Amino acid sequence: MTGFIVRRMLAMVTTLWVVFTVSFFLMRAVPGGPYSGDRNLPPEIEENFKHRYRLDLPLHEQYLVQLTDAVTGDLGMSQRLYDFNVNQVIAQGLPISAALGILAMAFALTLGITAGIVSAAYRGSIADVALMSVATIGIALPSFVVAGLAILLFVFMIPIFPAAGWGTFRQLVLPAVCLGALYAAEIARITRTSMLDVLSQDHIRTARAKGLGQAAVLLRHALPGALLPVVSFLGPATAGILTGSVVIEKIFAIPGLGWHFVQAALQRDYTLTMGLVLLYTFLLFTLNFLVDLSYRILDPRVELS
Amino acid sequence: MSARTWFPLLLIVLALSGVAWAVLRVQLPPADFTFVNESEVASVDPALITGVPEGRICSAIFEGLTRNRSDNLEPELGMASSWEISDDRRTYTFHIRPDAEWSNGEPVTAHDFQYSLRRLLDPLTASRYAYLAWYIKNGKRYTSGGSGLAEGDPVEVELNPPADVPNTVRGKLQYGTLVRVDAGKPDAAGESNARDRVYVVEIDGKVRQFQAADEDQLLPEGIEPCRQVLFESRKLGIRVIDDLTLEIELENPTPYWLDLLAFYPLAPVNKGCLEKYGAPAWTRPENIVTNGAFLLTERRLRDRIRLTRSPVYWDRDNVRLNVIDALSIDDRTTAVNLYLTGKADWVTAPPPVVLREMLAKKPPPNDVKPVPQLTTYYYMVNTTRPPVNDVRVRRALSLALDREEITRVATAAGEVPAFSLVPPAMPGYKSQSFPPRNPELARKLLAEAGYPGGRGFPKLEIHYNTDQGHQAIAELARKQWQRELGINVTLRNEEWASAQDTQQQMDYMLSRRSWTGDYLDPNTYLDLFVTDGENNSTGFSNAEYDQLIADAAREPDETKRMHMLERAERILMDQLPIIPIYYYVSRNLVKPYVRGWYNNLQDIHPLNTIWIDHSVDMNAPQPNEYSRELP
Repeated sequence: MTGFIVRRMLAMVTTLWVVFTVSFFLMRAVPGGPYSGDRNLPPEIEENFKHRYRLDLPLHEQYLVQLTDAVTGDLGMSQRLYDFNVNQVIAQGLPISAALGILAMAFALTLGITAGIVSAAYRGSIADVALMSVATIGIALPSFVVAGLAILLFVFMIPIFPAAGWGTFRQLVLPAVCLGALYAAEIARITRTSMLDVLSQDHIRTARAKGLGQAAVLLRHALPGALLPVVSFLGPATAGILTGSVVIEKIFAIPGLGWHFVQAALQRDYTLTMGLVLLYTFLLFTLNFLVDLSYRILDPRVELS
Repeated sequence: MSARTWFPLLLIVLALSGVAWAVLRVQLPPADFTFVNESEVASVDPALITGVPEGRICSAIFEGLTRNRSDNLEPELGMASSWEISDDRRTYTFHIRPDAEWSNGEPVTAHDFQYSLRRLLDPLTASRYAYLAWYIKNGKRYTSGGSGLAEGDPVEVELNPPADVPNTVRGKLQYGTLVRVDAGKPDAAGESNARDRVYVVEIDGKVRQFQAADEDQLLPEGIEPCRQVLFESRKLGIRVIDDLTLEIELENPTPYWLDLLAFYPLAPVNKGCLEKYGAPAWTRPENIVTNGAFLLTERRLRDRIRLTRSPVYWDRDNVRLNVIDALSIDDRTTAVNLYLTGKADWVTAPPPVVLREMLAKKPPPNDVKPVPQLTTYYYMVNTTRPPVNDVRVRRALSLALDREEITRVATAAGEVPAFSLVPPAMPGYKSQSFPPRNPELARKLLAEAGYPGGRGFPKLEIHYNTDQGHQAIAELARKQWQRELGINVTLRNEEWASAQDTQQQMDYMLSRRSWTGDYLDPNTYLDLFVTDGENNSTGFSNAEYDQLIADAAREPDETKRMHMLERAERILMDQLPIIPIYYYVSRNLVKPYVRGWYNNLQDIHPLNTIWIDHSVDMNAPQPNEYSRELP
């Protein structure tokens, strides 16, 4: 167990370093820079601007300086949001993206697993076909379409929810549902497939032979094993959902991290882009690690090595 | 209960309380007036910003010597209660209001303006708008740092400040005379870094050598490190006569100087606040000290900025809104959704499709009233690249363009076809235009240039930054040019930052751009195209043009000056380094119960005169100031 954790930590540090290096050089390979603007700078001022953000150093020195800072937890000043450093931007945006993500995930899990179980239990029935068709459509529809339809329906035709913003629970409902819909569809399909797989196994036949009811067989004996693939899916999905969805955050004006991600890259905010990429890498790694740990709880046969 | 049962339960409880915390901690009482302020603001430091959303906030929390009247934007008394102008119109003496106060209760003094204007000019501030203060005597030389210095100039050497003081505190100053500047060692590309320059300065009879370097940097024997060497700031045309009297001496008589003073970059900032907290910590709502009509009380990234009425502002009795929310929303459709559901009272840039639909109604609703703006949309031409280096080709392109079709099909709010750079709405000036559409003549010119019927004409490329609107216009231009001139046209789009870079490097043939005047004078358009101007980017260079712009800047007689500028624009419209396409109109949605909000030529809407009047009849003709015709 300890060896497993240590190895994972080492792998994470290496990955973060590789991601840092690749992002650093990729960002600087595209034209433009943090000083690009629709009014060009006089040369003296551009020079001072570059000096302030150490962009006047040779590339390898910039790399070393920024790497050293990043290792000590200093992600630098944002180069486009002049009044904030990267840590402050993350501190403001991450809780909001995460809160929305948790709600969306809770919705997705509840709906997805229920639909998956029902589909598997009544395989081939009208309910199964209907649920899986909805799930397929859910996966195929881009989230801006889902969000657009939801706004049309529940903001303008039946005005029960606010159009956008952050600060009340009512404002959360539409974005959480729209964000969760895609994940719910995926989870439903995964649950159904693995439920069908588990239901055909010997221990289920044994349980039925002992005279257990349908509910007990499905929920107590089949579900835990069938959840393993869902849990694997949850790791990367949660990392993505926690750092914010670009489209949903933009349409519902949610002040999370997702839109920062896009804007920082488009505006060549090198430091903020780097900070967000590293944050995403860290979350992805951590959540995958948690997924591996939870395998042990769900399936005692799994050995962590 | 086993761990397998309570652990998931605990997780659920933790997650839900986390969600509740993230929502509840940001609850705010509703504002009196809410508007959509487009993108997140880059900063609230008036010296660092250039954007329109930033300007709306900074103009509300800071105030310069003058301020803009809401209705026509003419300069009126701001921090200054009166001023005198010398006979040569180069020296302004401002008397600052005795009742002008900072939000921390300190009086606003002439020293504050001296501090702030010098800071704006300081090359270390790296302000994009520093050039607006170059009208002040020696301002440009001060900002230009080492490269603006000549032998014998009075200079100030700013020594490195101690390591433990905030970054806004200046180092100790040594005043002297510049003996010479030794350029640094050239690098591989043959260019020497400005930071390697060695300044030889005579200070109190002693000759010393300085180089911009950190204290711990290894320097050759005899060279002292310093932060920077600048033209002496005491020789700037900014003089404090007494606490409430400020004298500003300009390089040239500048008829729009009082307009410029109302512009946020020239507003004062509080020295005590800056030097106590350092940058950027001083801009935080809990630290910032301001002197405008509103206080910055809340700032949430990509959410909102909350402004509240200042209790110490000199004209507070005429400010009627207590709480204003400026929402930062990038998505234009979302902004309109908020407007339609009553959550926003003013939206600045609704999507074209919404505008088109509203304007098509008979009569159009009171929420929408586009008026002409001082912004021109044009294609820059790279005059160094064949075949568009031939003026006949440029004229042919301009003559073959059907601008009416472009404004009818691709724009939404009644934009006006453009035949000049300076919009005709510019007061006191007669825009110089080129001839209207004439495909016949265009074909003839193209044939003269050696491309009869477009034969042999290389592929013409239109470059623009990725945007549906720009694309629609470029596609129409392509269609028109292919049809009328028989030439092959391709489109190339790049996302914004790359497009800026491409323009600056002049790596294009035709490239889209628009220009909004910084102030109400044709000079703000025409001085773009002087030889090597920072924003010229077309390779256009014309000695007579440069001379006219320079002479106009020095000309005290207003009629003669305008005449010179008109002659300059004539040259520009004959040579066509740019092909104007259309002039903008404003595109605002404003609720009819919003009063004191005026349409004007620059789309600037001071917040201090706005009020909410629910007694208006929303559907009556012209219920508020906004829906009335421009005077």
